[in-house]
Amino acid sequence: MGLLEWLISLVLSPQVFAPLIFPGLITALVVLLTVIWAERKIAARVQMRVGPLYVTRRFGGVLQMLADGTRYMFQEFIIPETSDKLYFVFAPVLALTLAILPFAFIPAAPGFSPVKSPLSLLGVLAVTSSVPLAVLLMGWSSGNKFAIQGAVREAFMTVAYEAVVFVSALAIGLAYGTLDLEEVVLRQHLPGILLNPISAFTFFIGMVMSAGRLPFDIVEGEQEIVVGPYVEYSGIIFGIGMGLAYLKLYAFSLVFSLLYLAGWEPLLTPLYNLYPALAGIPLFAKAYLVMLFVVFLRSVYGRYRLDQALRAGWRIYFPLALLSVLLSVLVRVVGYA
Amino acid sequence: MSSMSSLSGVAVPGDVVRARLLVREGDEEVYELFIGPQHPSSGHMRFIVRLEGDVIVSVDPDIGYVHRTMEKLAEGREAIKAIALLERMTIIDSHNVTIGLVRALEKLLDAEPPPRARYLRTLLSEINRIASHLYGIGIAGIMLNHSTMFMWAFGDREVWLQLAEELTGARLTHTYSVPGGVRRDLPQGFADRAEKAIRYMTRRLEDYKRIFLENPQVVARYEGVGVLKKHEASRLGIVGPNLRASGIRYDARLAEDYAAYSEVEFEIPTFEEGDSYARMKQRVEEIKQSMHIIRQVLQKMPSGPFFAERYLRLLPPKLRDQVLSTGRLKFPAVFATLKLPQGEAVARAEMGHGEIFYHVISDGGSKPYRLRVVTPSFRNVILFRYLMPGHRFMDFPAIYGSLDYFPPEADR
Amino acid sequence: MPNPLYSFPRHLRAIATGLRYLIAPNRMTVYYPEKIIELPPGYRGLIRYHPELCIQCGLCAMICPAAAMKMFVRKGEKRGRPGVNYQRCIFCGFCVDICPQNALEMVRVHDVAYERWEDMVLLPEKLAQEPVSPALAEGAKIVRPVFSEERGLVHEPA
Repeated sequence: MGLLEWLISLVLSPQVFAPLIFPGLITALVVLLTVIWAERKIAARVQMRVGPLYVTRRFGGVLQMLADGTRYMFQEFIIPETSDKLYFVFAPVLALTLAILPFAFIPAAPGFSPVKSPLSLLGVLAVTSSVPLAVLLMGWSSGNKFAIQGAVREAFMTVAYEAVVFVSALAIGLAYGTLDLEEVVLRQHLPGILLNPISAFTFFIGMVMSAGRLPFDIVEGEQEIVVGPYVEYSGIIFGIGMGLAYLKLYAFSLVFSLLYLAGWEPLLTPLYNLYPALAGIPLFAKAYLVMLFVVFLRSVYGRYRLDQALRAGWRIYFPLALLSVLLSVLVRVVGYA
Repeated sequence: MSSMSSLSGVAVPGDVVRARLLVREGDEEVYELFIGPQHPSSGHMRFIVRLEGDVIVSVDPDIGYVHRTMEKLAEGREAIKAIALLERMTIIDSHNVTIGLVRALEKLLDAEPPPRARYLRTLLSEINRIASHLYGIGIAGIMLNHSTMFMWAFGDREVWLQLAEELTGARLTHTYSVPGGVRRDLPQGFADRAEKAIRYMTRRLEDYKRIFLENPQVVARYEGVGVLKKHEASRLGIVGPNLRASGIRYDARLAEDYAAYSEVEFEIPTFEEGDSYARMKQRVEEIKQSMHIIRQVLQKMPSGPFFAERYLRLLPPKLRDQVLSTGRLKFPAVFATLKLPQGEAVARAEMGHGEIFYHVISDGGSKPYRLRVVTPSFRNVILFRYLMPGHRFMDFPAIYGSLDYFPPEADR
Repeated sequence: MPNPLYSFPRHLRAIATGLRYLIAPNRMTVYYPEKIIELPPGYRGLIRYHPELCIQCGLCAMICPAAAMKMFVRKGEKRGRPGVNYQRCIFCGFCVDICPQNALEMVRVHDVAYERWEDMVLLPEKLAQEPVSPALAEGAKIVRPVFSEERGLVHEPA
């Protein structure tokens, strides 16, 4: 029937499929589910214990986060009297929306990007840098001293790492001569991590800082300011707040794999001919591995102090990022593109 | 920021007073935070922290949440029951807590433990000291959100708790020393197991060094933070590893001859810097020294009875033979109503956290007239007031973890 | 700022240590209640009373530090037989150590749970019954802790 075919073609078009299904909203939620479980299991392996086990015992407890999420769904979320009620409930929703937006720009396979633009890298970075504003709103509207401390820390950290991430992305864009994420992959005869390792390193550190993973989990500093901006949240809006950081990490990991790890190369042509999005599976695998390494760092590090993290961001990683821009310029001049 | 420069470094009491006077009603600059008992890392106490921006202006420790009136309870019970009561002050280090009381009672009763009992007491004291230091290192780790250090320290503590369980019958609340000697003898094969535990722990201390003590991130958090100068430490009356990490070589094991410490050789490590990093290294060095002592004690263990002869001879001969053959003590019936001769006695012991001091006054009855105990954490709590001002807010858990403060012990 | 030449290799060493334990973990979890740890001889667990050996001297109740042991006097008995209130018992073992007739012993069972407050006060008749660990009754496998130099404490099947 005409209507059904039209609906199916609508869902399978890149504009709908990529942001909603793969690697967009639904995949992001599945990744959220499994990567938090993986973080707990990896930490447990290093720490001489077992981690979550009993939910689906035979598979090692992999659906533990589903159980946690279900519990959050059914828990009443309490809105404090002294908070700004409208913004209190609105801010996590805003944050979640902004965290999903980057998937509008990320291509999963050649020719399969929802919004094809010569500036898609810039678009992704611009959208991810707006998420901290929502977190600031969360902290401010809670009306709790610890939350305000957490919001201030988030503001400090954002300015520090955004500069590092932007300049590193600029460096690699310069090396390949384009800011279009699809073009960057097509021009990667040599993966970005080998072409400009300094830029890869600083982008990686900036990614860890932005996702709030140890050693930079200063915003949710449990030992000092309880949970920072999320302290008054309970129920499903707490679940959203906790998942935010992982969504940012996922978006950044995808961008990292596209820029530095040759994206979806080697292109699996049979899968591509079947349906283009399926060729994005290598990209997804690389991004997942990067995420697993980032969550592994939790079992090795403690937390840096706020001023040490800021000092590191501005005095070490920012000059390194500028150096990587210089390296890119050199690479272009020498003639390798 | 002139206020910061005047408050940086070690604060003299005048500074703190001045800082508090600066906190006027409606002072917009200063931000008051209650790190209350309902907080993931405040322990069982409350801190009133005043911040100016990110810099701590003053910290007010508010103790007393775990006060269980142990000294008063001890006045209403027979003296031997106070041993089981008082070991719950610091349950992680329970032998070192009670050995001071037992020494004080032995001085009043004029009962000397035989040599084997003294060596066994040393053995359990050192096992407890290792377990207590591992607990302290673990808590310091989690204060920095270094969950691996926390889990490893508590997991490795299991090895030592298992050794203590085989020796005394309980993992934490040993109630091992009684006036006159100890309650259990060494079980079979204990020396082999202890040797394996020591080798395992030595190996693990290397791993701790790689992932925690020499991790540049941890060093950045600890180095130069919370410096306690030598003259300040001695003026404030600090005890324990905090004192030794500031350069003063004082240990109650040397100051008072109890158990078998005068017969084994060990060093008292000290560090000169007095910052949090020195305190953490101090505890690791003390663990190594404790393992050295345990090896010597097991090697040199004298044979003989493990309980004083003057009490063993009160038992009927059948029970006395049973005690000496099974290695489990039977109290003589007089212990149920043991009368303490009139007088006073004073005793000190060295716990993992520092020196504990007992003062027992008896008026001739079976219940002590007054039992006074000064615990090491009670003496160290003043450091919260003196070390914190001038540091950043995130240094607060770092310094707290490095001090190894144990609230139930301070509150008794 | 610390010297990066000094700190970067140490960062790598910390990460390498973490990776080593990730690849070869040393788990020490015991899956209770499917497995249960065998307690060492001399463990101070629940109390068992042997009424045929008791001479009703009352020393156990006199020495109990927590006032958990009390003498229950029946008709015609002189000083009564001991019963324990497990809400108060601290498992110190003083009662076992002072009994001149070895009428009290501590069994190697500790994981008993009570469903009612009143069940925790054991009269002498109940105290004379052998305490049973509920996990063992349900068929838990017994594991024994063994000291090992590489892995610390390993729990091997008994």
